[in-house]
Formats: sequence, C-alpha cells, structure tokens
Amino acid sequence: MLGALLYLRLTSFRNLVVHRIKRLRQPKYLIGTAVALAYFYFILIHRSGPAGSPSSVAAQSMAQAGLVAAAFICAGLCVLALVRIAFLWVFPAENPGLRFTEPEIAFLFPAPVSRKSLIHFRLLSAQFAILFTSVLIAFFFNRAGYLGGHRAIRAVGWWVILSTFDLHVNGTKLTLSRLRETSHRFLLWRLAVIAAIVGYATAVFRSSIHLVNEYMNGPEALRSTPEVFIHQILYSPLFFWLTLPFRFVLAPYFATTAGDFALAIVPALLFLGLHYYWVSNTEARFEEGSIALAEKLAAAKAATQRGEMPKLGNSKRKALAGPFPLSPSGPPEIAFLWKNLLSMRSALFSRRALLVLVMLALWGSMALGPLLSRQARANGSDYYSPAIVGFTAMIAVYTVLLGPQVARQDLRGDLQNADILKTYPVEGWRIALGELLAPTLVLTLILWLAIVMLAAAVDPVGKVEWLTPGVRITVTLCLAASAPFLCLIQLLVPNTAMVLFPGWYQATRGRAGGIEMIGQRMIFGILQLLFALLVAVPAAGAAALVVFSSQWIFGIGPAVVLATLAVLAIMVSEAVVGVWWLGERFERFDLSTESK
Amino acid sequence: MVLPLRPRACTVPCMIEVQSLAKRYGAFTAVRDLSFSVRPGEVLGLVGPNGAGKTTTLRCLAGIIPVTSGSVQVAGHDLLTEPVEAKRHLAFFADEPRLFEYLTVRQHLAFVARIYGVRDHEALARPLLEELELSEKADELPSELSRGMKQKLVIACGLLHSPSVMFFDEPLTGLDPLGIRRMKDSIVRRAQAGAAIVLSSHLLHLLEEVCTNVLILKKGEKVADGTLADVSAQFSNGETGVSLEEIFIRATGGSET
Repeated sequence: MLGALLYLRLTSFRNLVVHRIKRLRQPKYLIGTAVALAYFYFILIHRSGPAGSPSSVAAQSMAQAGLVAAAFICAGLCVLALVRIAFLWVFPAENPGLRFTEPEIAFLFPAPVSRKSLIHFRLLSAQFAILFTSVLIAFFFNRAGYLGGHRAIRAVGWWVILSTFDLHVNGTKLTLSRLRETSHRFLLWRLAVIAAIVGYATAVFRSSIHLVNEYMNGPEALRSTPEVFIHQILYSPLFFWLTLPFRFVLAPYFATTAGDFALAIVPALLFLGLHYYWVSNTEARFEEGSIALAEKLAAAKAATQRGEMPKLGNSKRKALAGPFPLSPSGPPEIAFLWKNLLSMRSALFSRRALLVLVMLALWGSMALGPLLSRQARANGSDYYSPAIVGFTAMIAVYTVLLGPQVARQDLRGDLQNADILKTYPVEGWRIALGELLAPTLVLTLILWLAIVMLAAAVDPVGKVEWLTPGVRITVTLCLAASAPFLCLIQLLVPNTAMVLFPGWYQATRGRAGGIEMIGQRMIFGILQLLFALLVAVPAAGAAALVVFSSQWIFGIGPAVVLATLAVLAIMVSEAVVGVWWLGERFERFDLSTESK
Repeated sequence: MVLPLRPRACTVPCMIEVQSLAKRYGAFTAVRDLSFSVRPGEVLGLVGPNGAGKTTTLRCLAGIIPVTSGSVQVAGHDLLTEPVEAKRHLAFFADEPRLFEYLTVRQHLAFVARIYGVRDHEALARPLLEELELSEKADELPSELSRGMKQKLVIACGLLHSPSVMFFDEPLTGLDPLGIRRMKDSIVRRAQAGAAIVLSSHLLHLLEEVCTNVLILKKGEKVADGTLADVSAQFSNGETGVSLEEIFIRATGGSET
C-alpha cells in the first residue's frame, strides 16, 4: 500500500512539475513566476536577517514584538482549533467522511484493500501536504527567527502541530460515526463533550483575562518586558494545567535550542502517537461520508475555478424566494440585480454559518462583557470611541479595497453563462450595469453602516470645535452620496480584468496553483490598488481644492457640499465611461479564444 | 471535393440570411466565406467532422461571438447593426444546459420574461411547463433536476418569448430515448408553426428525420448546401437509396483533415 501511495504521489508530483515548467512558455505564467520569485527574493530572503540570538537593541525589541506576536498567533490558532473541534461535535455530519479525492475513491474503494489500509492511505496522503506546508510556513516566518531557534526546528514544530490537528479531526469524525452507529445515547455523548469543550474554553479564557488584568494594572517595569509577562502567564499553575494538551503540541515549535527541542519533541510525539492509535483503531464506517465529501470538494473546486464562491458549510443549496417581486416589464438591469441578490443570499448565508456566528458572539459577549464594562467604568465613557473609529475605518477601507474580491456575484459569477447572456436582446452596457448592481448595493450598504458609525464615534464629547452637528450631518450625507459610485468603480476593475484577460482571470480563481499563480494574483492585487488610487486621486484632489478655496467664503459645511458635487461629477463620469466600455468589451468577449 | 455552390434566392422572406460569414481566431480561420439562408418552416441541419466550425457558426449566428467579416440577418435585422432587435427573435440552445444554480425553475422563467419583456409570462409558462413535464419541479433548483430536466428548462426559457428563429447545438446530447423522441417532435412542431431552425448534430439519423435542408461543413468551409434530396443527388453518383451517412463520408472525404 505504501509503495502504491509513494508511486502515486511521486509520479503525480513529477508530472505536475513538468507540466508547470512547460506552461512557462505562456507569458501569463512566465510573468507570474517572475513576479512571485522577485517577491520571495526581496521580501523573504533579501530582507531577512540571520536567525539566532538578538545582538542589538533593535533586534531585542523585534524579539519582544515577535514573541508577543507569536503568543497571539498561537492563542488564535488554539482558539480556531477548538472551534473546529467544537463544530464537529455540535454539527456532526450524517455520514462523517475522511478526505479522499474522487479518483482515489474510484480506484481504492473497490480495490482489495482493508479499511485500516485506507485510513493509513489517508493519513499518509495528508502527510505530503503537511510536510510541504510545514516547510513553507517555517520559511515564511523566518523573521520570527529573532526569537531564536533554527528554521528546521520551526518546520518540525509546525509538522507536529498540523499532524496532531489532522489526526484529532479525523479521530473525532470516526468517533462520532462510531457513536452514531453503536450508541443509543449519541445525543447525550455529544452534549457531554460539548459541555466539556465550552467549560474548558471558558476556564482558559477567564484565566487569560484575569492574567491580562494583572498585567494592565501591574507595575510599569513588567509592562515594558512582555516576554517576562508571557512567561508568567505560561507558567502560572492554573494556566499551565489548563493548556497542557496544547503545550505538548506547541512546545517543539517554541524550542530555541537543540536541548529544549529534544525535551519538547518526546512528549509531543507521544501525544501524536496516542492520536494515531485513536484514529487507526476506531472501527467506524466512513465510506459513504468520504464519497459525499469528495463530491463536495470536487464541486467546490469546480465552483472556485468558475469564479464563484464555494458554498460555506455542509448544507445543500436551497431554493429561496426572490429578494423582491420581479415584474415582467421594466429595465432589464433590475432583473440582473434580482438574480444576483438571490445568488448572494444563497451563497453566503447558510443557517448553520449564522448559528455559529450568533453562538460565538453570545459566548464572546458573556466572557468579555464583564471585563470591558470594568475597563469602561475605570476610564470614562470615551474609552471605546478611538477603538470604534479605528475598527470602523478599517472595515471601510477593506470594503473598498477587498470587497470587490469577495462580492463576486456579477459578470465574474456568470462567466460560465456568458454565452446565454449574450443571446439576450439587451445592450452590453446594460448587462454590465445590471450585473454590477448587486455587489455595488451590498458594498454600499456596508460602507453606509461604517460611515454612520464613524459619524457617531468621532469625537463624541464635542472637543473638536468646527465639528458642529450640522457639519457632522453634512459630511456624513456627502460621504454616503459618494459611496455607491466608489463601490461601482472599484467593482469595474476585476470585471474588466475578467473580460479583457479571461485566461489570466480564470487561472487566478482556482485554489491550486504554484508559484506562478501567486505571482498572477499579486499582479491583479497591485493593479486593483493602483486603479483605486488612479480613480481616487482626481476626485480627492478636486475635493481638497474646492474645500480649501471655498471654506473661507461659505464656511466648512457648504464647502463640503461643493466638494462632494465635484467628486460626484468626476466619479459619475468615470462610472459611466467604465460601464459603457465594459459593456462594449463584453459584447466582443469570446471565452473560446482562450482555448484556441 | 468542393462542389460549386448554389446560393438560394429567398422567394419568401428569409428568417436567417448569412452572407460571406468568416470567423478568425488570430491566424486560425474557423469559418470562411459561408453563405446560406433559412426560410420559415425550414430546419437546416449543420453537419461536419469535429473541428469543422459548426459550433462557431452557430455562436456567430446567435450573436454570441462577433463575426470577423460578412453579415448575418435574423428576422430581417442585421445582427451587427441591430443586435438587440435581432436577438428578440432568436433562441439559442447550447449542447450543455447552462442554468443559474440559485434560481428555481419558476424563477428562471421570471428572469427570462423580464429580459425579453414577456408580459403575462405566468400564463405562457404554465402550459409550457406542463408540456415539458416540469410543473412539479417548478420550485426546485437546477441541482435537484436530472440532466434531461435541465435541458427541458433551457428549452422552456428559450421558448417563452416565442422565437421565430432557433439554433440548437447538439440538442440530443445526454437525453434518454424518450427525451430524444420528444425533442425531435418539438423541433418539427416548432418548424411547422413557422419557425426557422438551424441545428448542428453528429447524429445523422436525427437530421434525416427532422431536417428539410442540410449544410455540410469541412474545415470551416461549405462543402454542400441544399435540401436533403439535392445534397443526396450531388454525392450519390447516380446510385439510389444512398444514406446521409454515406453522403457525409463522401462529402467530407471520410476524415477530419
């Protein structure tokens, strides 16, 4: 079995490498590779200093920052792992399956191979990906080498973390399957485990909050040395025992010397071995679930390659009522809006995903509420405002820059149906506009929410003299008026890229890839950013000019209104030209030319 | 063997009129100098070996891809200068049913009705759904439909605006025997009702059953065009009872190249 697996993996890998080298003859892959290699060279190799002990004040402060960052990353990873495990127990699959590909199922399931061998095949298959990922992450986080420790140690550390987690997930799936098959008290078992996970998480969280409080209220000297504080947290008795399972797994990663590593790796491997024993000796049915899982993964991969967002969660797509009644007459653009809003609701909001979000929010507020209210009482009512302003501004910026990459229910989502759209008796620009309306609407609503929150949170106690209620309302309305056009223009970028370079665009949609795909995605990301700047600069320049020159005459409020009118004139012109041009290009768009 | 071509003059108004159509992809010519016409009630079968340019021709006729040169008139409207008017009269049925995953059967029809401006589409859709046996599936998504059902939904969407020109690309792909029979009947019925139909298929027995005319393509060029009897006469060398399959092999030289 091992021989067959090795043959399959090594041959596939060799063919993959050959295929990717051959396709470098196409400029889109060659340029992508060049960009990605340049990025890796300058960012990861050229700029990274030697790993080892810090030798200067700067290096020491970087080490401190690195330690704090590593602590937070580890805490975050532990939380994610816990949530993932809890998710499996809260929503057990009807037929839990192990992760095989469709060809593996087609060839291996009917083959004269024992069930245990199939499990081993699955575990070994995962090892190829885990080993590769471990080396890659250790390489990526080379700059964390200021913490000390060798890159090889970090790679092994990551391997332990990822392998243990993979085994734990598979063990949980098989155990759930076994319990469902054999136990009449399946629900009780689940409730008991869920209660244990929630209790554990709450205890760790409250313990952490308690320690953070001590730190915040502690002496200044302690606060200037975060590594001492983190050390105190890690070795406080309660925290030590509470986090023991995670310690086993994380310890090799944090080892800084060969001796530390030797001490850490033994319990980690024992813990890993226990997991392996658990997985390989749990007699449970996994075949049906594996087949369903493989089909789902194949469908998700196909959806991603089509430029659609894979469905979240395990739920089947369900028929939904339209967002509003669609009358048979009227502008055709509204039909596209109606269709794409329906698509968004169907793609993004599964009940299960919403339930998980609500549960997390409830748990977070219950655990975090007391701390925040204490802090608020201690610091006055203005405590939250800067945080809310910063957070909301960040949401607004991300909505403008990254929103178009997420909200893809437009021409990009209909790439496969382009032939059908082109047979419709509708001008190209109207199809383009109609397709862009739904994501524009959604992004605009998010921006409006952010603008309202900013309006309320900026200077709530009225310290800024010129920010009168009138000016505040005027600025809010003016920003809100500009938001839809900004979103529309931003959405034009990826849609135009798709129509102009369908081959490039399609290539960047798939999850699979290689170094050239990283490069291609970087090129698209940079182009989106450049275009955002290109669009924003004339509008922002005009706005600044108008405000500066007219505020002395009319006052700040009317000056803002005048500036908004100038901005709107520029942005509406840009949007009109952009939509018209996109429509023209779409009418000439021929996906089949890519395959010629 | 390329025979002298005899472009047909339209004594009644032609629904499809193609003049010197050419389509090039860079240096590659997919279709060259193609001229033909289809009148109301005619079913033109487009045949040819793989890579002959059948799908490209159909996609040009449906306005999906622009022609490189030449002209296409659909229901009296030039597809290049009046694309919207021309498209109001046509329907294109691809070989693979392409549907919006998240719209139910009924929502598909509502969407198409809005695009084509079909008033009272519910009254029109009801008999259509019944005819195509989709009434019980009206509130289901495409993922819950079999391939045949999806094909039927595509047909329902295409017929909702009562097109007078229809293009079918391999219409029988993936259908069961009953579905094939119904599709053939449907094509013939639409033609008898006055529609002009062009269909491409490798299934020559289908063409013999439903087509009034046939156009044979090879390497993007027209090899023969006319009624089945005309084309048979051109390639039968005086023999009688020569099948379309034999004619096809003789016309195309028995190979793709």
